[in-house]
This record gives sequence, structure tokens and C-alpha cells, in this order.
Amino acid sequence: MKYAFYPGCVAKGGCPELYTAAVKVAEKLDIELEEMSDVACTGAGCMPTHLSDPINARTFAKAEQMGLPIMTICSTCQGVFSQANHRLQDAEYREEINREYLAEEGLSYQGTTEVKHMLWVLFEDLGVDKLKSLIQRPLEGLKVSPFYGCFLRRPGPIMVPTKEVGGRRGYLEDLTQLLGAENVDISGKTKCCGFPVLTANEESSLGMVAKHAGESKQNGADCMVTPCPLCHLNLDGNQPRAESLKGEKINLPIIHLPQLLGLALGFDADEMQLGKHIVSTKAVNDKVDMLT
Amino acid sequence: MEVTYKVHREDPENGGESSFSTYQVDLPEDATVLDGLQKIRDEQDDTLAFRASCCQGTCGECAVRINWRAQFTCTTKIADVTKKGPEILCAPVRNIPVIKDLVFDMDKFTWDKMAAMKPWMEPEDEFAPTENLIPESEMADVRKTMSCYQCGLCDEGCAVLPVDFDFLGPGAMVKGYRFVMDPRETGARKEERLAVVEQPKGLWDCVHCYEANGKCARGLEPSSKIMEMRDVSFKHGIKNEKVARHHNSFINSVKQTGWLDERKLVMETEGLTNIGGLMKLVPTAVRAMTRGKMPGRHEKRPGADQIKRIIEKAEESK
Repeated sequence: MKYAFYPGCVAKGGCPELYTAAVKVAEKLDIELEEMSDVACTGAGCMPTHLSDPINARTFAKAEQMGLPIMTICSTCQGVFSQANHRLQDAEYREEINREYLAEEGLSYQGTTEVKHMLWVLFEDLGVDKLKSLIQRPLEGLKVSPFYGCFLRRPGPIMVPTKEVGGRRGYLEDLTQLLGAENVDISGKTKCCGFPVLTANEESSLGMVAKHAGESKQNGADCMVTPCPLCHLNLDGNQPRAESLKGEKINLPIIHLPQLLGLALGFDADEMQLGKHIVSTKAVNDKVDMLT
Repeated sequence: MEVTYKVHREDPENGGESSFSTYQVDLPEDATVLDGLQKIRDEQDDTLAFRASCCQGTCGECAVRINWRAQFTCTTKIADVTKKGPEILCAPVRNIPVIKDLVFDMDKFTWDKMAAMKPWMEPEDEFAPTENLIPESEMADVRKTMSCYQCGLCDEGCAVLPVDFDFLGPGAMVKGYRFVMDPRETGARKEERLAVVEQPKGLWDCVHCYEANGKCARGLEPSSKIMEMRDVSFKHGIKNEKVARHHNSFINSVKQTGWLDERKLVMETEGLTNIGGLMKLVPTAVRAMTRGKMPGRHEKRPGADQIKRIIEKAEESK
């Protein structure tokens, strides 16, 4: 199993621990990664589509040249890629982009690149049996709230396009259970974390952090797990500000998907760089330490 | 067919806590949820409040959460919602204040927010001497949005409204789209129209979570409409200054280096001369530094020159 690895800007910037954990975990799972280092940011839903579609077509064309599917570790990258790739299935539009933007570099996108988030790769390519066989430390007793955020689930017709991949609506819960941890459900697990509105309406954004993290804590979770580093930036990085806004302590550790996986695969908290989080992960570390 | 209705009861005007009332109802197999509610009101409890009008799924008056999923009571068959058991739970849609039981406040949801969209046409030349002919291709999308039921289902799923009820919401944004995209408003009028949808609590307060796309009974894809309007706003020049700084910084960063310089983005979004705004960033920056999370030196990527060429050419195309 080999992928063109697209880590995204945040895993190379504000959440370096995600990059480290993903690379270590992939190696342990025999997932070979060839990092795409000469391609652009997806635009993250911030760049208008007339600017981001051409640069994303370039990324897809590069992967096509490599003969590999792309693996992402960021729901936002995945969402923007999936939507762009969907538009680029229109042959006329794709040819226009090839002609106007890619031809000068000798590139041409044929529309064949598959883009998959690591969470999807685990279930759809690696398989549950292989994953189970590699678990060294079942996370028994650890109470985890799965938090999808927006982009891995919606728009439904693009992110979950067929019945065959209908399981995508529940992979995070499935994985948490498969790793031996206990699911702690919250009502907003597929809602927005608030990050996209941080610029326009900070109070609204922090309100969402307090709502999701607070509910998770109230329901007895030790931590929350997310497949999106932008959710992580807001839910972890801005949790202290959300606490100040609401005047209440939450103190809920937010764990990246590969970190949770890594702990079950036998890595320790330092190897998964849990110390780089803003909200202390001590409660998680202590529980995991007791399992070893 | 014997079914059990469990219906939300609430009467804010007269105080008291919200609760559920339970009713046993015998209905034909092909009855709708609305048939059952009407039978309850006719035969068991005339204090039960709910709304309905066309009774054929075309007016959107009867939106209710049936077994927690928002739907129209008049087109939802009881046989379809009792497959897992004979109980039918009816609760008011979320995110909109309740007047009584299942009746929500249309003024607060729809009419006030729709009115904020100035839902009337203001063409540049109001007294054109001839007919104003418009190609079908330019009106197709606009006309489709005119079929909005204004039922509230899109707002029901909104992620922002539970934390900020003043957000205008996807329903009002669809109404805004109908005018933003109308080719008959041009020039200065188009700019005024964009300022209307870009008002505080408007276009830029949406988190583009795409929840509303899956909720709309007419398939109008409100979230996608919001993103299309953002693209239009970008081409005309974003009117919200902070959002404009954010977008410009983001794009410049990708143009210059191929990827996002988060540190620069955060500072340029606040404004490099906005000392108060920059000072607010300090505690977060200190926390990030102490945890080793502060991004390092932002290097230009291989391929950045090609990325810059592509973006600059795409910018010219607008």
C-alpha cells in the first residue's frame, strides 16, 4: 500500500505533532508514504474556487504522474480536495484548466486521482482485520468522544457518494471501539468546531468550542478525538479562551486521530507528542500508562 | 393501526417547563403524521398547537422534528416512521423560539431575517423604455431559489444559530442569493446588494459546514449558495475589512511560498497597525511557544513559482 502523502499546511505548521504521529503510525501499519512537497495549499475553503481549483488540479495531476492515490490527514484538505475533484470530473471544465493553467508546466489532469483521508484508508484499504492484528495496547477504560467536524461528512453526495462507503458516517466510532476505548457520544459530533468563523465572529466560534468540549466533558469523556487539525486548533488551542468567555473550566484533552491510533499500536505519549497540546493530556497519559 | 404519539408541550407565554404528552391513536395504514395530530386535537386534546396549511408538501408550514428528524408532517407517512416501534415523537424544530407546543416563531426566524435581505428588486434603470430581456441561462439558478418554502428546515440544522441566534442563517442567505445573482441589478446596485448580504451576522458568519444542503426540502443547497456568493463577493472586493485582510493574507502567502504561513496570517488578519488586536494574540502565542507548537521559519516550497503563476493567471480571469 503506497500513497502520495499530502499532510496539509497545519500539520507542517501549527500542529506539528499530527505530522509526526501520522508518519510513525503509517510506518507501523505498513502504509508507504511518498510526501508531496512541491504542491500548493488546497485553499482550505478560504480561497475562492476560481483560484483554488487550478492549483488543486495541479496537485491531482502530480499524483496521477506518480501513479498513486493521495492520502490526507486533514478533514479540511480532504473536503476541499473532494469538492474540487468532483468539479474536475466535468471533462470540459478539466480541459479548460489543463489548457489555461497546467499545460505550461507540461502537466495535464485526466481526472483519475483518488483522494482519501487516513480514516478512510484504515477501513477501506488497510482493513479492520489487519488493523486489529497490529493493536498492542487496547485502550481499555479510556473514554473518547469522536468529533468529525464538518468536512469528512458533508456535502453527503460528495463525501459519502455510494452505499459501499456508507460506513464513513461511523468510522470514527468504529475505530474508537476497535482500539478498545469507550465511545462517549455528544450531540454536536458532526457539527462545526467553529474554526471557520474565528475571523468574522470570534464569540460564535469560541461558543462552539465551549459547547462541544463542555458537553463531552459533562458526558464523562477523558478526551475527544478528531480527524481534522483545524478542529484541533480551535478545540484545543482556543479552549482556554472559550473557558474565559463562558467562565467555566472545561479542561478536555483533544487528540488527533493518528495519536489515538498510535497509543493503541504501542507508541508512548512522548512518541505521539501529546506534550505539544495546549490542553494538558495528563488524564489520557495516566490512563494509558496504567495499561502498559 | 395503533400508534403512540409523544408530543412536545410548551407554553412560554404562560410559563412552566416544557414536557411531553402521550396519546394513543388509531389510524389507517396510509395516514400521515399530520392526520394523527389532527385526530388528537379533534378527539382528545384541543389545546395541542401545531401548524399546517396546504397538506400536500408545498407550503412548508408543518415542519416538525419527527423522531428527532425534521420533516413535514403532512407528507410523512406514519408507516415510515414506526418501522422501529409504534411510537412517534414530535418536537419543534431546533434553533427557533417556540410560541406553543410545535408552533415556532416565524417572525424571529423568517420574516425579520428575510426583511434584512431587502427582498425587493432595485434595478439600476427602473424605468427602462423597453423590455428587459434576460437569457434563460442567467436566471435558471435564481428562479430555482424562488421556490424556497421558507419552512425553516435549513436553519434547523445550522451550526451557528445555537450559539448566535442573531446570525441571519441559511434561509435568509438563500433569499440574498436570489438577488445577488439576479442580472437585473448591476453596477452600484450590485455593490449595495453585496453589502446587504455581507452585513454583520451575514455571509461571513457562516461556517460552511454544509449541514443546510442536506436539510432543504426543495434541494436548493443553501450552503453551496452561500459559498457561491462568497466567490462573487471576492471578485467584487470583500466588504468586511477583517475578512478581506484574512483572505488577502491567505492568498498572498500561497502565492509567495506555495503554502500557508499561519503566523503571518494571524497577524495580518488582525491588521499590522492594530496594536490592540495584536496584543490579544499574545496569550495564545505564548501558550503555543511553551508547548513547542509555534510554526518555525516559513520556507518557500519547491513548485512555488508555478503555483504563483497559476494563481496570478486565475486572478486575471475574474
